[in-house]
Formats: sequence, C-alpha cells, structure tokens
Amino acid sequence: MAEDNITASQKDQIPRHAGEPTHEGSYFTPAVDIYETGDEIVLLADMPGVEPGDLDVDLNDDELTIVGRVGAVDDEGVELLSEYRVGSYYRTFRISDAVDRAGIKAVLSDGVLSLALPKAAKAVPRKIPISGG
Amino acid sequence: MYLWRTGRGHLGGELDRLRRDMDDAFSAFAGGRKPWMRSPWRETRLFPLLNVRETSDSFTVSSEIPGMRREDLEIKIEGETLSLRGERTPDEVQDEASFHRRERVTGAFQRSLTLPGKVDKDKVTATYRHGVLTVKLTKEKNALPKEVKISSE
Repeated sequence: MAEDNITASQKDQIPRHAGEPTHEGSYFTPAVDIYETGDEIVLLADMPGVEPGDLDVDLNDDELTIVGRVGAVDDEGVELLSEYRVGSYYRTFRISDAVDRAGIKAVLSDGVLSLALPKAAKAVPRKIPISGG
Repeated sequence: MYLWRTGRGHLGGELDRLRRDMDDAFSAFAGGRKPWMRSPWRETRLFPLLNVRETSDSFTVSSEIPGMRREDLEIKIEGETLSLRGERTPDEVQDEASFHRRERVTGAFQRSLTLPGKVDKDKVTATYRHGVLTVKLTKEKNALPKEVKISSE
C-alpha cells in the first residue's frame, strides 16, 4: 500500500540580500492557498512553530504582509538527523480587489494562518436616466 | 496511486517543477534568487521531514505538520522503530470558490524511523503545538550509559 506519496518540500529560504526584515535568524516563504468566493478572499498559510503573539499581519495600501517569528528551538543534546530548518516566515501579497479592511479576520491555529479578507461592497451600478427631448 | 493533492495532477506537478526551474534560470539572469541556493532534497517522497536530537537519556523527534487534527495523526513505537502515519485533509471550501494559489500539500503519509538505541515504550510522550509534532522517547534503562568503577586490588 503506497501511502507515503505526499510530497515534502523543503521550505524556501529567503536570501539575506533580498531586502528582508532586519531580524536575526532565517526567514522562509510559507506555503499558501488563496481562494476566492463571492464575498471574500481567503488566504491560508502554513507557519508551523509560530505562536499567535508572534504573528503580524499588515495591509498597507494593496500590499499584504505576513510575518511570523519563530523563537529559538530546543538545542539540548546532539543532532542525529536534520531534515528541515527552523526559522521565521515572511511573505507579501498584492491584493488586487478592494477589501473591507475593518472586516479582515485572522486566525492562527495549529500553525496555519487563516486570513479572511471580505470584499468591499461594490459601488452600486448607477443608471443614468435619459430624458427625451 | 497518487494520494497527494496540490490541486494539480501528477503531470501538472512535473510541469510545475519545470516551470519553476525555468523561472529560477530567468530570475538568476535578472539578479534574483540563484538556482543553486536550492537545497538538493527540496522535494522528496518523504513526508513529514524529521529532526532528531539525542541526549544522554532520550531521543526527541520533531516534525512540522501544520493544520493536523490530532485524531488524524497516529504514532506507534515498535522495538526501536517509530512510525508516524496520518492524513492532511484539505480545508473544506464552498463549491463556487476559485483557487488562485494552492501550495499547501495535502494527502496521506507514512514514515518510520529506526532509532539508534532501545527506548522505553511506556515512556513515550507526544505533543502537538502550533503545528509542530514533538515525540520524546526515553531510553531504556539497560541502554543507559553506566559508569564502571575500577576496583582496587
């Protein structure tokens, strides 16, 4: 039974020269899902190890930034196997639709950030009356 | 049988990889990320990736598996072999939802790891916090180092 067919990807590390936040430690690009429904845009980001207090979500004009900081991990004893690296997360997105800023909801649970961005109410189409002359 | 889903089929995955490699080549020209900065085992068939540490009396196995339901994660210890098994299920979305990006992997996984020493089966603890699974295994008493006293004649 081949059940081990899920693909593990090494996290993409952000190079130091890329103008990233000037914090200590490594930064990784979190894997995300983004989907859109009729009334909202939902963004899910895998950020394992981030505690709710260490997460920043910022929307500046149309640029959405998510930063999750991961503190020092247990380094007791000796390393026998090291397949993944631990570090913080950083990623920015351009939000092309008008978003209702006041209604943005962010939940971090079990290392997954779930961000719901409600779409701003569209301007009501205006019908221009034409007067017969 | 392909159980992992990233919103694309098998071939789609291959094409995606090819596209990424091309993107890398182009971004290297443009002064962006260099392709050789990629780790050689960026994509493997192994999931989840594991980190293991050893102290004088224990082994600690940790793994980043965000968004798991505890009941979908099975941890077993048989002799010196630790097995992890589970399934990462996709979040439920409304039918009309259209995906712009789908990078988070979902699917069934199974992985086992043979530890370099005997462990006490009754003293295995597992915690799952903020998407990180940590299994702590205490070494068997007989396997613990014992100081040998030199007797004087």
